[in-house]
Formats: sequence, C-alpha cells, structure tokens
Amino acid sequence: MKRILDHPKLITAFMALTTVGFIAVAALPSLWPDTFPALNPVRVDTDPENMLPADEAARVFHTEMKKKMSLHDMVVLGVVNEHHPEGVFNRASLEKIFELTEYAKTLRWPDPENPEKQIGVVEVDLLAPSTVDNMEQGGLGMVTFEWLMPQPPATDAAALAIRQKAARIPFLNGTLISEDGKAVALYIPITSKKVSHQVATALEEKIAQFSGDEEYHITGLPVAEDTFGVEMFIQMAISAPIAMVVIFLLMYFFFQRIVLIISPMIVAMVSVVWTMGLLIATGNTIHIMSSMIPIFIMPIAVLDAIHILSDFFDHYDAKRDRKETVLEVMKTLFRPMLYTTLTTMAGFASLAFTPIPPVQTFGLFIAFGVFAAWFWTMAFIPASIMLIPQNMLENFGLKQEKAQEEARPKLVRFLEALGKMTYAHPKYVIAVSVLLVVVAVYGIQRIRINDNPIKWFNPSHPIRVADRVLNEHFGGTYMAYLALEPEVAETGTGQHAEDFRERLSSHTKQLDGLVPMIGETAVQVNTEARRLRDAQLSEKAFLDGLETFVNDKLETVSFDEMEAWEALLLVIDQQRQQNQIFKQPEVLSYMGQLQDHLLTTGIVGKSNSLADVVKTVHRELFLGEAQAYRIPDTANAVAQTLITYQNSHRPQDLWHFVTPDYRTSSLWVQLKSGDNIDMAQVVESVDQFIQNNPPPVPLKHQWFGLTYINVIWQEKMVSGMLEAFIGSFLIVLVMMIVLFRSVIWGMLSMLPLTLTIGLIYGIIGLIGKDYDMPVAVLSALSLGLSVDYAIHFLARARMLQAQHGTWAAACIHVFGEPVRAIFRNAVVVGFGFLPLLAAPLVPYQTVGIFIAAILLAAGGATILILPALITLMQNWTFPKTQTMPPAKPTLKGGVS
Amino acid sequence: MKKKLSSLGLILFSLLTYPLTGFSAEAELSADMIVKKAVQAAYYQGKDGRAQVSMTISDSQGRARQRRFTLLRRNLSDAGVIGDQQFYVYFHRPADVNQTVFMVWKNLGKDDDRWLYLPALDLVKRIAASDERTSFVGSDFFYEDVSGRGTDEDHHTLIETNQNFYLIESHPKDPSRVEFESYTSWIHRKTFIPIKISYFNKNKEHYRTYEALKVEKIQNFQTVVQARMTDLRTQSKTEVRYDKVEYNLNLPEEIFTERYLRNPPKRHLR
Repeated sequence: MKRILDHPKLITAFMALTTVGFIAVAALPSLWPDTFPALNPVRVDTDPENMLPADEAARVFHTEMKKKMSLHDMVVLGVVNEHHPEGVFNRASLEKIFELTEYAKTLRWPDPENPEKQIGVVEVDLLAPSTVDNMEQGGLGMVTFEWLMPQPPATDAAALAIRQKAARIPFLNGTLISEDGKAVALYIPITSKKVSHQVATALEEKIAQFSGDEEYHITGLPVAEDTFGVEMFIQMAISAPIAMVVIFLLMYFFFQRIVLIISPMIVAMVSVVWTMGLLIATGNTIHIMSSMIPIFIMPIAVLDAIHILSDFFDHYDAKRDRKETVLEVMKTLFRPMLYTTLTTMAGFASLAFTPIPPVQTFGLFIAFGVFAAWFWTMAFIPASIMLIPQNMLENFGLKQEKAQEEARPKLVRFLEALGKMTYAHPKYVIAVSVLLVVVAVYGIQRIRINDNPIKWFNPSHPIRVADRVLNEHFGGTYMAYLALEPEVAETGTGQHAEDFRERLSSHTKQLDGLVPMIGETAVQVNTEARRLRDAQLSEKAFLDGLETFVNDKLETVSFDEMEAWEALLLVIDQQRQQNQIFKQPEVLSYMGQLQDHLLTTGIVGKSNSLADVVKTVHRELFLGEAQAYRIPDTANAVAQTLITYQNSHRPQDLWHFVTPDYRTSSLWVQLKSGDNIDMAQVVESVDQFIQNNPPPVPLKHQWFGLTYINVIWQEKMVSGMLEAFIGSFLIVLVMMIVLFRSVIWGMLSMLPLTLTIGLIYGIIGLIGKDYDMPVAVLSALSLGLSVDYAIHFLARARMLQAQHGTWAAACIHVFGEPVRAIFRNAVVVGFGFLPLLAAPLVPYQTVGIFIAAILLAAGGATILILPALITLMQNWTFPKTQTMPPAKPTLKGGVS
Repeated sequence: MKKKLSSLGLILFSLLTYPLTGFSAEAELSADMIVKKAVQAAYYQGKDGRAQVSMTISDSQGRARQRRFTLLRRNLSDAGVIGDQQFYVYFHRPADVNQTVFMVWKNLGKDDDRWLYLPALDLVKRIAASDERTSFVGSDFFYEDVSGRGTDEDHHTLIETNQNFYLIESHPKDPSRVEFESYTSWIHRKTFIPIKISYFNKNKEHYRTYEALKVEKIQNFQTVVQARMTDLRTQSKTEVRYDKVEYNLNLPEEIFTERYLRNPPKRHLR
C-alpha cells in the first residue's frame, strides 16, 4: 500500500496503459480485421436461440427439422387498409402489394462471409398473392391451376375476385389474407435471421415511397430479434453514459468535490473497459446478456470506491495528512472490502453453473469485472487522492460535513430517529418484516414465468404495433411447428420379408390368368425373397435387392414375360409405400382432428398441414363442393390427389408439410401470442390430446420453431437460475460465518439479502410482471449487492458495541455515519440506474428499476431489520458471559 | 487521331464479319428457322414415337423421388411441319399412382387440351391449360417442356454462331404469361438438338437450366436419351432417361382419346 502511495503517477500510468491495451485488442481487429487476423473482432449475437448450447437436444432437432422441411425464418410484412370499404382488395392497394412483392424478390446481397453465396430473401418460398397458386375447379370436369394474382388487377372488381379465390383456399385464408379482407400478409423467407433487419430496412425504404391509405407493418420473431441487436448498441451508447452522469451528480451532491468523485467514475470506466475488452478479445460475442455487463459492473465498482472516499472524508480532518489518512483507511477497509468483493464475485460466478452459455459468460465476466473494480479501487483510489494537490483538500472532511449536516439536518435526524425507533420497538419492525415475508411468499407463488422477445420492445415500438395489428387480422404471426414421425422403427427383418411374400402370393392369385407367366415369375421372386430374408437385411435393403433382381431380369427376358415382371415390380413398390404413413387416410384424418383441437386452445389462430392440402385438392377435383372437402378413402387416392397438387407452380410447397419419404410430417401452427406461457400451454394441450386420443399408428410428436425454442431456454433459465442461486447463497453464507467467526452473525448477515430477494420477487408476482430473462438474472445481482450492506452494518455494529460496551449505547452511533453511508450508497447507485427507464428496450428498463429497488430494499432491510434483530437477540448476539473481544482486524473496520 | 480510330474499327469489323460470310450456306438461316428446326428435332421426330421414361427428382438435400411412365406421341401434321400433336403419358410407378394417365392435345395457335385420369378416385379431369409453365408431376420440368413451346410465342435472336452451336436468345412476346424474361439456347449446328437452355428472370438472374446429357441415333433420328432440368433457386434437379425409344409405330388414333384414359392400351405401353 505504501508503495502505491509513493508512486501514484506510476499507478495511474499503468492503469491508463493497460486500459488502452484492452481497448486496442478489442478495437483494432474490429476496425482492421485484415491487419489483425489473430485477434478477435467485436462479434454481435442477437439470436435468442443461442441461449441454448448448440448441441442442446431441442435446438439440434429444430435445426435438423428446419432443414428436413426446407423451412426458413420469415419476415412478415402486413399491409392493412382500414379505409377502403373492401379493405386491401382494391386496385390501388393490390398494385402496391404486387410492387412490394416484386421488390422483395430482389432483396439479395453477396454474403460478406462467403461472397460467392447470396444472402437475403428466398424468392421461391415467398408467400404473396402474386407468388401463390389458386387452384379451383374450372367448371364441369375441369380443374385449373393459376397464379392467384399474376398481374395487379385492372379493376376493383378483379381485386375482389382475388379475395374470393383466396378465401376458398384454407392454406391462404387467415394466413395470406385476413378473413375480414382488410389485410394481406407477405411471408418473406430469409436465408438466415441475421439479414432480417437488413431486409426489413430495405422494405421500409420502399414503403416510404408509397402514398395512400394503406398501413404497413413488419414483424416476425427474426425481425424482432435482429432489431433488438441493433437497438442494443444504441442502448449501450446512450443509457449507460446517462447512468454514469446521474451517479456522478448524486455523488457530487453528497461529497461536493469533483476531484474526489471523478476517481470512482474512472474506476468504473476502467473496470467496464477491462471486462468488455477481455470479453471481445477472448472471442465471446456481445449478446443480449453480455451487453448488460457494463450496466451491472458500474454500480458495483462505484460502491467500493464510495466506501474509501467516505472514510477518508471522515478521517482526513483529524490527520490533515493524505498519506496517513489513506493508510489508516485502507488498513481498516482492506479485509471487509475484500469480503464484499468476494461475495459479489461468488454470486455472479455461480451463474457459470446455469445450463445457458450466454448467462455463464455474463456471470463469469461480471465476476471478473468486480475483481477489476476491486483491484483498481485498491490501487487507483488511494493513488488519485495522493495526486490531488494538498491545497484542494482544504476545508475538506468531517468538519466540513458537520457544517453541511447542520445545513440539512433532516437526513441525520431522520436516520437517528429511525435508529431509536428500531431500538425501542424492535418487535414492530420484526412484525412488519414478517408481514412483508408473508406478502412476499404470497407474491412469489403468483409469479408468472414468461417471456416474449417481441415484448422486449416498448408497446409503442413499431414492432409491437405491427405484432398487435397483424395478430388482430390474421391467424397469428408466431410460428411453431409440430413434427410427427412414426414411433417405431421399420419392422424387423423377418417380418417384412414374410409380409412381402404374403403380398406376393395374394397378388399372384389375383393376376393369375390376366397376366401371362405371372406364376412362374412369382416363384423366382419368392425364391429371391427367401434368400434375401436369410441375409437379414433391413426392409429398405431387402426391397432394393428385390428390385435390382427384377430389373436385371427385365433386361434379359423376352417381350412376353415383361408384363409379369413389371407387375411384380409394382408389388415391391407397394410394399415400400406401406411405410409412407403420411399417405394413409386415417393418419391424415387424425392430423385434421389434432388441428381442430389446436383451435380450441384459443391461442392457436390457425394451423396448416398436409391434411389441409389433400382436402383442398380433393374438393377442387370434385367440383369444389363443400362435402368433398375431406381426406379420400385410400392411400392411393391420397397419393393421386397429391400428384395433382404437384402440377402447380409451387410443387415444392408440399415438402414443407411432409418429407418426400412420407415418414415425417410437420404441422404449421400459427399462434396469436409469442408468450412462452401460451406456447407452453399449447404444448401441454397437444400432449393431453394425443394421450387421450391415441393416433391410428404410433406417432411421436415433437415441437420446433423459434416460438418453441424460446420456451425451452426459458425453462432451462428458470431451473438453472434457481440452482445457481441456492449454490451461491450457501457459498456466501459460509463466507459470512468465516468472516464473523460466528454462525449467528453469519446467518444474520444473510437476512437482508433473503428478505430483499423475497420482497422483489414477491412484488414481481404481485404486480404481474413476468419473470423473464432479465428478472431471472437479477437474483444474482441482489445476492451480490445486498450482502454488502449487511457486512458493513454488522461489522460496524460489532465494533461500536465493543467500544461502547452495550448495544443500547452503540446503536445510536451505528445510526450515525455507518448507516448514513449505506443510505447514501443505496441512493446514489439506486437512483443512478433509474435513467434506464427511458430506454426503448424493456429488458433494460426492467434491470434499471429492479437494480434501484434491490438497492433500496437491501439498504432498508439492513438498517431496519438488523438492528431490530440485534436488539431482540442481544443474549445471543452479544453474549453477556463473554466480554466482547477486542475486535479482530477483520471486524475492526469502521466501514462506512 | 479520330481517323485512325475509325479505320482501325473498319479493319476489326471486316475481320469479324469475314468468317460469317465464309459459311454462307448456314449463315443464311434466320434465328426463327434455327428455332423451328430445333423444335422439329426435339419434339417432331418420326410420325409417332414411344419411350419408357424414368424420372428422378432430387432435391437440394439429395432426397430422390422416382417416376416411371410410358410416353406415347403422335404427330397430326406431315413430316417436317410443326403442327398439332397428341401425347399420352401412362404412369407405372410410384405404385400408388400406377395407371394414372395424363393426356395432351397440343393445339397450335390456341390453348392445349389436357386430361388427367386418377384411377384411385376414378376421376377424369380436364385441366384448364391457361398456364403451361407449371410443374409436370412435381418435377423441375414444366408441362411446356414435355410438349414443347410454340416457336411463335417468343422473339428469337441469333446471338452467336460458333463451331458447334447456334446461340439463340429468346424473349417472350407476352411477358405476363411466363415467369422468364429471356432464355438462351445452345442449338447443335448439325443435329439442331438444343443441348443447353438457360432461363433468366426479370432481374437477369440465371435461375433454371436444361441440359441434354446424352444423344443417340435411333432409327436414324438423333434422339436425346438423357436430359436434366435444374432449378438453381431450389437446387432441385430432375433427370430423365428415355429407354426403348421407337419411332414410326403406327400408333392408333383412338388411343389418344378420353375413352382410353380409363382403359389403357396395354399393348402399346410396353
């Protein structure tokens, strides 16, 4: 310490140099990536999917299914016309929609990571009136396939006709066009979520050129997530500095010396730079979570520094020597500060045990940041004091403060009165606390675990508005997919061979007399089938083998034999198609029932499936009559309906609903809400339905899609956070017991924290604020910060008790400077974060208001409940049989 | 200076035009003529014909689907004339579309007539053929690729003639009826078989390619026996193989009628 004080300039220079170094490793590779290829540039990641590890089962399945079903993330562009009596179905509106679609098709750019590839809109899968097919019966015995809107309609009547056509097609109605006719939605698939903001921005520019009554809304989870990323940066650039300014002003209000309070601000900045620099340099991404690191580090960094300054402030007047004062202050403060730092670090580091990678990163780096703050507080704050010219400290210190106290004695008097009150009526304090505990418990039970990335924006944000408007008009803009697959693997070797031979013999009987030489050829195939059966092949290999056998024969046999061999090829193929379960009528009907059930949840506005495709085509094949809207009776009829469907402009649409082997099918579910709680309810409801209504063949069902992925990581977050919290709670408790060398004092120190967290979460439950991602993370913050106040309070209380002999005498002194320091701390930092309320992004607002609430509640709990309990439990806290030992170095600290 | 440049240009010009005048006999062919000959070579060989077609549709993930069908064709016009035609497509496999029949009467100068017979639904349907650029049974080929596009539906320009090919660029007369903005065909100079056709969209992006993969001489007719259509946007491709190709079979006229949709002429399908 002495060395620090002897070389303040060296310390400062060292700090400046290392900090510049951290800035350099982060900034250089970002600005000149080619010059510094070895270093990691700033990488931004706004994908909530990354809340799950890349190898997480639900995520692996999601990625696999997206590929299997050729699905892309989508930007949804809604065009609404509330003024025209026919909504958007008028000539002018449809003309704009047509133009927008043509424009959207062109939105492609070279991939910056791989210039040969293109990123942007996936043109072939774009859903818009001009890119989808209308299929309808064209009079007796006729069926037509045509683009729904090949050209913008020439008249308003033609525009209305488009609405009538689309309304007949279940796949389009409620998805592409709103049932009230007021709106049309374009579903714009994109190569990856990363381009959604770029696509949305380009669309907005195009829309800006239009005039008219139409309103345009852009939404979809990818847009929300990507936009969040963009605004996240604006947020970091604005809110964090404003918070700094407010903290600065509040500190100035309390200490009145700019030279003094500038150093804590520098420590905070340096800690943030170190942490973020290390984060970037180690190749971590700036994620929704890690972007909040600065906001979390700043109050903690400032807290430590305030303690030193406060103490210096108190003692300087007595010594009138900077060096000696600093030495004494540091001597008394070193260990308590070390402990508060360690507990805070433990609280955050415990996040490393959550199963969510971004939260792990967040926790570990804040722990690092807290350490950096402690280190520089220890090194730089004393050094900075030494750098202040002696003359600037004249009229500084306690005397000065006393004068100020007289100037505004209200605070002093108030706090002292508070102390007297807790001493006189500890039971009331405890009674009120118990009451609060009851309220908290009640509130916690009412906590609603829920999140929704769309709601990370303010209600007035265009994305929220779009979300609201479009979900009013359409079946829902939140997509989730339900994958259905056969439960059991294909039947074992022996069984399929026997099945085949049975099939073969029955077909041979049927064809006997109709097809020449069928008997003889069947015998040969049967022999081959036996041989292959004995080879124990899988069904596919077995049938492939038979098919090769027959095809070889076809090359050599005479013309007369050919018909028989062809007929047998057909039998082999029939056996093969037996496994195409999504051509089976009963399976398709079951899917239809499941879809009907989905609608009863009230959350699902619409769903689309292979069953709808089959029913629609079947209806149009049979004169478009309503009673023909059904699944045909045989698998062959289903297959022929589907091959008819594939004669359209977009045959590839089929493969979004079923895989070409007809073994996996995916239901496209449109939810009106992206709240996890709603998605979870749909999941639950489907489980129930399938349990109560077993499918005709054993099917396993599994969800995928962004809306579902959000539910999964939230579940992990909640359970992971609880475990991390319990773990760190125990660690901190043990640290406290060691620090105070007493189980009772250790437990006492955990009380304010426990109550604060209980109260905060109780309030969250009571006011109906959803327990979402930022709220979950706040438990770690409360743990780390609340315990600090208790450490300071109890250490000082014990010391003063020793000085004054009795608690009764000491109590009033505790409510002097120590409590004042805690009070100031809570006010400075708590209010310092209220500017976050002005943020356009809700998670930041949440963090802002809850940091403030936690600090105020923890401060309050510390200065009210702890003295009350000490008073009530004097027999245990200050055993009479034992004279208070001279305070150990640890506790001696007049920490204020 | 200016003079020098223009005289240089003159020399270059004469150098460029010299080889063309050298092939005087072929150079006389207009773009329209070349296209007509190409359509002849691709769609009108013999007075009728039959092929066993194997079609493999593979998507971007390499998942393949097979179709097996017999293709019968009959010209209604005299040899060498591009006239009306009839097609009869009988599906063998997949097993569940076995016996499905698709029939086309290609009418020059007006919309084609198309029929579909779906045996499992026992349904004969006329397909209103207002748009022929829709998928042929889920493949990357369009109906128009199977039956041929009218030569007078596009403006054709001869872009280039090299040792082996004529390069023709074609633009639709009515752009609203098609999804392409233009297509370029590499037409073999000796056989007039289109070896490659590239389609371009309104943004001049190349999005679709036809390639003749194998040509054989059958009964003295140069015949494409293997071809591929690739959709560059979906990365899906369809390969067709024509086996047992035969010409001038004297297929009876009545096969190509609605009556024969339900009762396939088995004898003629093998």
